Amino acid sequence: MTAATERFGEPGRPIERGEPRTLAAPTGYFSDVAAMAGRSIRGLLREPESFIPALIIPLFFFVVQLGALGKVAERAFGISNYAAFQLPVAVLFAAANTSGGNALVLDIANGYWDKLSLTPVHRSAMVIGTLIGEVFAVIGYSVLLIAFGWVIGVRFAGHEVFGALGLLSLTVLFGMGFAAISIAVALATGSVRATQTTFVVFFPLLFLTPGTLPRELMTGWFKTAVSINPVTYILEAARSFIFRFDGPLLAKGFGASLGFCAFTFALTVLAFKRRARMG
Amino acid sequence: MSAAIHANELVRHFDEVEAVRGVSLDVEEGEIYGFLGPNGAGKSTTVRILTTLLEPTSGSGSVLGHDVVREPNTVRRLIGVALQEAGLDPKQSGRELLTLQARLYGLRGRVLTRQVDEVTELVGLSDAMDRRIQGYSGGMKRRLDLASALLHRPRVLFLDEPTTGLDPTSRTLIWDRVRSLRQQYGATIFLTTQYLEEADHLADRVGIINRGLIVREGTPAALKAEVGADVIDISVDDRESGAARSAILDMQSSGELPAGELRGTATGYTLFVPDGPSQIAVVVRGLDRAGVSTGPISVSRPTLDDVFLAATGGRMQASADGDASQDGQRVPSGQGAGR
Repeated sequence: MTAATERFGEPGRPIERGEPRTLAAPTGYFSDVAAMAGRSIRGLLREPESFIPALIIPLFFFVVQLGALGKVAERAFGISNYAAFQLPVAVLFAAANTSGGNALVLDIANGYWDKLSLTPVHRSAMVIGTLIGEVFAVIGYSVLLIAFGWVIGVRFAGHEVFGALGLLSLTVLFGMGFAAISIAVALATGSVRATQTTFVVFFPLLFLTPGTLPRELMTGWFKTAVSINPVTYILEAARSFIFRFDGPLLAKGFGASLGFCAFTFALTVLAFKRRARMG
Repeated sequence: MSAAIHANELVRHFDEVEAVRGVSLDVEEGEIYGFLGPNGAGKSTTVRILTTLLEPTSGSGSVLGHDVVREPNTVRRLIGVALQEAGLDPKQSGRELLTLQARLYGLRGRVLTRQVDEVTELVGLSDAMDRRIQGYSGGMKRRLDLASALLHRPRVLFLDEPTTGLDPTSRTLIWDRVRSLRQQYGATIFLTTQYLEEADHLADRVGIINRGLIVREGTPAALKAEVGADVIDISVDDRESGAARSAILDMQSSGELPAGELRGTATGYTLFVPDGPSQIAVVVRGLDRAGVSTGPISVSRPTLDDVFLAATGGRMQASADGDASQDGQRVPSGQGAGR
C-alpha cells in the first residue's frame, strides 16, 4: 500500500504522498495478538511464584481427597477408581486458578495499559494476548496434573493421547471462560482489590458440582444447584474422557463450556468498551 | 498547511468536575510548545485527549490534520507520547519492552533493531537494555519511556511533565534530548510542565493553562514583556496588618513610586514597576519610614511565574525542586495600583 492511499481503514484525510512519514506501518491482527501473547507468556515464566501456587493447591486437594475418601468413596459410591474420578476436578480447579485479570489490572494500575493504548495495536489484541497467556498456563497446569494422574494409575478411555487431548481442550475452554471473568472485572474497575475478589466466583462454580460424588447419588437442593451449574456438565464430560466416551455427555460438556465462554467473553467486551470510554 | 496540533474548544467533564473548559490552541510544525500550569490545571487531560486516550466531552482536536476521535489509529502512528507516569512493564527488560513497542508500530527486522539501538543510545541507556525494568531508577524509567515514544520516528511528540520528580542531572539530560530531537528529526514537540524554567528554556511558545482554560499564550519573551515592568518582591514580617500595602500605595499616590500593580503573596507583596533597580531604594526608605519591618527585598526581570501571577492572581511557585502550588493571594481590586 502506498503512502498516497494509506488510510488505515478510517474516515478522514489520507496521508499525502510526499508528506514526511514516520516509520510506523499498519500491522496485522494476528501479528499484534502474537506480540501481546508473547509478552504475557514471558511475564508468566518470569514470575513462577505467581503460578506455582495455582498448581500446588489443586494437587494438594487431590491428594488429600484421595487419602481421606478414596477407599470409602470407591465402596460407598461404587466408583471403580476414585483417583480417576477426582483428576478432572483437580484439572478444572487449576484452570480456574489463573491470574489473567490480575496481570491486566496491574498494567492498568501502573500505566502500561495506557502506554500500549497509545500505540496503533488492535485494541482487542491487548486482551486476547492476555487470554492466550492464560491458556498457556492452563495447558501447563493440566499437562502436569494429567502426568501425575498417569503416574498414579489414571488411564484414559480408548486412546491415551486422544483422551488426554480431549480433556485438555475442554479444560482450556473452561479456563478461558474463567479467566475472562477476572479480565472483565479488571477492565471494568481498574481496581486490583476488586479483581482479586473475583476469586469468590470460584466457590459456587467449583463446589456446587459432582466433585466428590456422582450426581445420581445427590438429593435435595444441592442436587438442584448442581444441576443448574454449567461446570457440572463440563466436569462430567471431562470424566467421560477417562471412564467411558459418552457422546451426549461430551456434547453437553463442550456446549456448557462454549456457553460459559460466550457469557464471560460478552462481559469482557462490555468491560472493554467501558474502559475505552473512561480513557 | 494545517497546524501540527490543533485544538478547538476542547471540553472534558469528569462527572461534575470540568477538567478542561474550552482549550483552543494551534502548534506549528517543528515548534516546541510549552503547556505550563500548576497541578490540576488541565494539562494532562488535554494531552490525553490530543493523544486519543480520552474523548472530549465537546470540541475537537487534530494532529497533522487527522481528527483525534475519528482517526485515532492514524494519529497514533504519527505521534509519540511519554506520559507523566512512565507506564512500563517491570517484568520485561528494556530491550524486550522496546522491541514489543516497535512491533506494535509495525517495525520489523533490521529497521526494528536499528531503531531500538538508535533510541537507546539517544537516551543514554545502551548499557542497561538487558536488565529488568524493575531494577531501573526513576530517571532511567523516564528515559526508557522517552525512548519508546521515539521508536517509530513520530512527527509529533507529546511529553507530559517529562522531568517531574527527576534529579537535576536526569532533568538536564532530558532537556538536552528534547532539544536534539527537534534538531535531528524536526519533530513538533508538545511539552507540558509545571516547571517555569523548563518552559522558559525549551519552548518556542508557551500556553499557560489555569483551571481548564488557557489564560496566556505567546513566546516566553513576549509574555514576559507583556508584564511590562520589573518585579520587586518584598517580604514583610507582619503582612496581616496591611501597613506595608498602605505605605506602598501612599508612595504611589504621592508620585514617589511610579504606578504599578501590587499583588499579595504568601510572604508579602510583589510590586510590578518600571526600572525596578532604581526603585528598590525608594521602596526600602518608604517602608522604613512607615515603620514596616521587612525581610528580604529583591528585584528581578519578570519570569513566567510573574506572567502567571499577572494572568491568574496566583503564583505557581514551581521550581524543578518542588511541587507547583497556587498560594499567592490577589490584593482585592481597587487596592492595588493600576498598571
